[in-house]
Amino acid sequence: MNHGSRLVQTSILRPKLITTLMVLFTLALAAFIPQVHVDTDPENMLAEDEAVRLFHTNTKKEFALHDLLIVGVVNEKHEHGVFNPETLGHVFALTEFAASLSDPDNPDYKVVARDIIAPSTVDAITQAGPGQVSFDWLMAAPPTSQEEALRIRDLAMDNPLLKGTLVAEDGKAVGIYLPITSKKFAHTLSQQLEEKIATFNTNGDKFFITGLPVAEDTFGNEMFIQMAISAPLAMLVIFLLMLYFFRQFRLIISPMIVAMVTVISTMGLLIGTGHTLHIMSSMIPIFLMPIAVVDSIHIMSEFFDEYKKIGERRKTLEHVMSQLFTPMLYTSLTSAAGFASLAFTPIPPVQAFGIFVAIGIMIAWLTTILFIPAYIMLMPESSLRNFGVKEKSDLAVNNTALARALRPLGIFVHRWPKIIISVCLLLTLVALYGISKIQVNDNPVNWFTKNHQIRVADRVLNNHFSGTYEAYLILESKLAPLSPAQAQQELAILFRDQALDATSKAVVAKALAILTRTAQQGSTEAMLALLEADLLESQAVADDPSYEVWADLLAQIDILRNRSQIFKRPDVLRYIEGLQAHLLNSGLVGKSSSIADLTKKIHKELFEADPGHYTIPDSVGGVAQSLISFQNSHKPGDLYHLVTPDYQKANIWVQLQNGDNKAMEAVVRAVRIYMIGHPPPVQISHKWAGLTYLNVVWQDKMVSGMRDAFLSSFIIVFVMMMILFRSPTWGLLAMVPLTMTIAWIYGIIGFVGKEYDMPVAVLSSLTLGLAVDFAIHFLQRARTIFTRTGSWHATITAMFEEPGRAISRNVIVIALGFTPLLLAPLVPYKTVGIFLASIMAISGLATMVILPALITIMQGWLFGKTNS
Amino acid sequence: MRPKNLFPLLLLSALLAGPALAAPDLDDIISQANNVAYYSGDDGRADVAMTILDNQSRTRERLFTILRKDIEEGGDQLYFVYFKRPSDVRKTTFLVHKYMDRDDDRWMYLPSLDLVKRIAASDQRTSFMGSHFFHEDLSGRHLDADHHALLEENDTFYVIKNIPKEPADVEFASYTVWIDKKNFLPMKAEYLDKSGALYRTMEVLEVATIAGYPTVLKSRISDLEAGGSTVTRFSNVKYNLGLDDNLFSERYLRRPPREARQ
Repeated sequence: MNHGSRLVQTSILRPKLITTLMVLFTLALAAFIPQVHVDTDPENMLAEDEAVRLFHTNTKKEFALHDLLIVGVVNEKHEHGVFNPETLGHVFALTEFAASLSDPDNPDYKVVARDIIAPSTVDAITQAGPGQVSFDWLMAAPPTSQEEALRIRDLAMDNPLLKGTLVAEDGKAVGIYLPITSKKFAHTLSQQLEEKIATFNTNGDKFFITGLPVAEDTFGNEMFIQMAISAPLAMLVIFLLMLYFFRQFRLIISPMIVAMVTVISTMGLLIGTGHTLHIMSSMIPIFLMPIAVVDSIHIMSEFFDEYKKIGERRKTLEHVMSQLFTPMLYTSLTSAAGFASLAFTPIPPVQAFGIFVAIGIMIAWLTTILFIPAYIMLMPESSLRNFGVKEKSDLAVNNTALARALRPLGIFVHRWPKIIISVCLLLTLVALYGISKIQVNDNPVNWFTKNHQIRVADRVLNNHFSGTYEAYLILESKLAPLSPAQAQQELAILFRDQALDATSKAVVAKALAILTRTAQQGSTEAMLALLEADLLESQAVADDPSYEVWADLLAQIDILRNRSQIFKRPDVLRYIEGLQAHLLNSGLVGKSSSIADLTKKIHKELFEADPGHYTIPDSVGGVAQSLISFQNSHKPGDLYHLVTPDYQKANIWVQLQNGDNKAMEAVVRAVRIYMIGHPPPVQISHKWAGLTYLNVVWQDKMVSGMRDAFLSSFIIVFVMMMILFRSPTWGLLAMVPLTMTIAWIYGIIGFVGKEYDMPVAVLSSLTLGLAVDFAIHFLQRARTIFTRTGSWHATITAMFEEPGRAISRNVIVIALGFTPLLLAPLVPYKTVGIFLASIMAISGLATMVILPALITIMQGWLFGKTNS
Repeated sequence: MRPKNLFPLLLLSALLAGPALAAPDLDDIISQANNVAYYSGDDGRADVAMTILDNQSRTRERLFTILRKDIEEGGDQLYFVYFKRPSDVRKTTFLVHKYMDRDDDRWMYLPSLDLVKRIAASDQRTSFMGSHFFHEDLSGRHLDADHHALLEENDTFYVIKNIPKEPADVEFASYTVWIDKKNFLPMKAEYLDKSGALYRTMEVLEVATIAGYPTVLKSRISDLEAGGSTVTRFSNVKYNLGLDDNLFSERYLRRPPREARQ
């Protein structure tokens, strides 16, 4: 037990050296802090090479999709909603303004002007007169009359691709969808837009800005605000609590220094090692601060006690440090292990968070055992003397509220142990039921408090539109290529279909002969090439009527070559139509848009806007010709947001009105079930992309990752407890209170309907490491007292005096130390605050109740064993 | 029609004969260039292969035959387009009656839907069949739609800046054309958007003289903003075929003339 006293010698003999070294160490690491790189992109919850993320990135590229910022313009006052010249004038001006915007600090971050979806940037396929179809801007210029405004409304409403997306079905709102090159631009962009909006004479117009990128980027900005508020506040709360407990201003400065050193050097190390400041890592300071002061509180409590007996600070310190070295080491190690277990999660920011809090805890431990003694050595002896005297009277007859509360608790626990344990077991059973009711869910928009403008915008716009949350369902052809023999068979059929009259019959017969000749090729491609060359040769010498037949036959080769272009096939498009209808009817999605919708819309307009032609044409040619008609518009490239140019992949753009992960999960499930129950006409694979979907993926990883982290930290802490107490039974005993506490807390979460989201998940494993501290101190002290008294009854009485108060103080400091998080404007921080404060408070109380009750029941066995 | 437009060939041969001739005035250069680019011969035909390249280097092909007949040199024209590939749009035809004094008439025939459709042509700056060429690039922009200014004249080119008279109708703020002094063929055009940035270019990549007419065999239009370009190759170019006006009537949409099919 002399590591402590040996270690403390350096601090006692060279306090100034220790202090200087500590300051230098901190400053060296602090030098990295200015290089901080903030990252609020939830995509980074997945590793960069994660398959689903690569697919998402690739999908965005292939279909030219961008992250979207959505400006909703709502007018509830005007009789025609937003469709009046004035409001549309604002919409026009705002779109023009937005098109040119970029980030002043980084010109690569900008609005992708060509892909803006706004009334002035979309083409309307319309009837331009009898038999005439027109591709023209929906709103080339702001309307000058009410009639023009209404015409814009009617045209947009008649386009299923725009209705519910560009214009609200109730006519009260219109949307401007601004694609951006980087999500990092979202917050700056929304500020630039707000400045512009402020210059409008908004006559009943309301402007709302939403979209996941805004939520995510704004979160990053508010994160800093919260850090600037919560971290100093936590510091202040801890300081005031210590001042209340110890009433010695000069002395309690030292734990504050330990906390500062810990936070600064850990953050410096985090940034210096190239980590980004993520939503998770931004919480590191506030986690470290209360934990960092705990060991100091133990040293000081003990020092108070002993100093009055020993009366000489050097000897007192040696004694205190040798007493506390082991429990402090173990409590630090268990806490660090709890956090470090997060390294087992498959989520990089959570890993970084866990590892660096663990490192921070060990920095705090080292700083505490080296610096606190040095600090005490550097204090004038006179101030210490005061300190001891004051405490002496306090200790003799302790009548603080805490002391008066603890004594009856001790008596109660000793008298009714079985009832206590039964009640706890019962509560645990109930809690397990609660846990089974936990809803796993998250939604980045809900990271903001209810009245935050982002939440308000989200509510209003999803009320008017078909959904501001995007996911992309990517369908891909899995059609097997044809062998030369199969190709020959297919072609023979296609050729025969061309034999309509005498001329063509003769030509087809010749062609079939050529086909038989060329079919011996090794590859289908080679065979088709040879066949094509042969047919061209025959065509060159053909007369005029035959020439055309040869041309028709040559076209069949091309048709066969293009058979992989399945998303031109009427049966495939109708399949997509059916899938979309199913999704819409299920009520899970607000709207979905696909190549099928576009084809139907064009088909209808080609036939004089006849609603009966709002259908998929009956042939590949019909589809292809409808689509090529559309490509005579201003934005032919819009087609390739929905299908790749090779027609082998299609994108169904799904809009959800709710960004909850469970809403997205339900859609994913519905699609899977539908596709199993309704096999597509050709083999089609489906995969999801889009931010809303990515959130689901990392959530899944987190839930399973957290379970693993929890189990591993449970095992690690358990092993450490067995080593510390040199007994599996005592080790297990130490695990009981916190295990029950965690079960209760999660049970409560299940019952009150609080969703299992990122912060709740992350906290499960780390609280284990924190909460076991109380058990360590309790059991360690109890065993020491029992060795001295030899009686459990005497021990329990003594335990509810000074040791009980020490533990309670620590519970209070840690629990209250986290409460400034409640003032944060961001929900995850609030959750962490409430959760940690309650888990600390409950586990502290549970330790004080369950452990003595259990020991009372098992005393013969426990102490018999220990004594032998 | 101004009389000077009646003598493009005369003027051209005069220019080729010797540089001693005095520089023509701006109007002459422009109408000359217009005639060389769009009015060679009384009529003409070409097989056209368009390769559309997007910003991900994915390509698409369009193969068609184009017939043209001039009603008046530098004035009204008729165009007939017959699609051969992709095979699923084969036999789709496209007819344009270009007028000087009003919006063009445009028809399209979609064989699989058995549908002849008129397409409103009020806006010529829409894509031609999904390519980077606009309808206006194929049949020519009206000369009087822009104000013109000679920016520069060097050994090779007349450099002319064009500013639209109706800026609201077009997506560009101005465009500059480089006209080859030898043959009056516009060899390059650069389009500036409303913020003054270059976003679109047209380049002639290959020229040949066919039947005495300087003829573009290969050109490219590039979209610098989104990325991507369309390269157009002309082959089997012929002039003065003696095409009948009737071939350019609506009824031939469904039954394209032999000149277009072969």
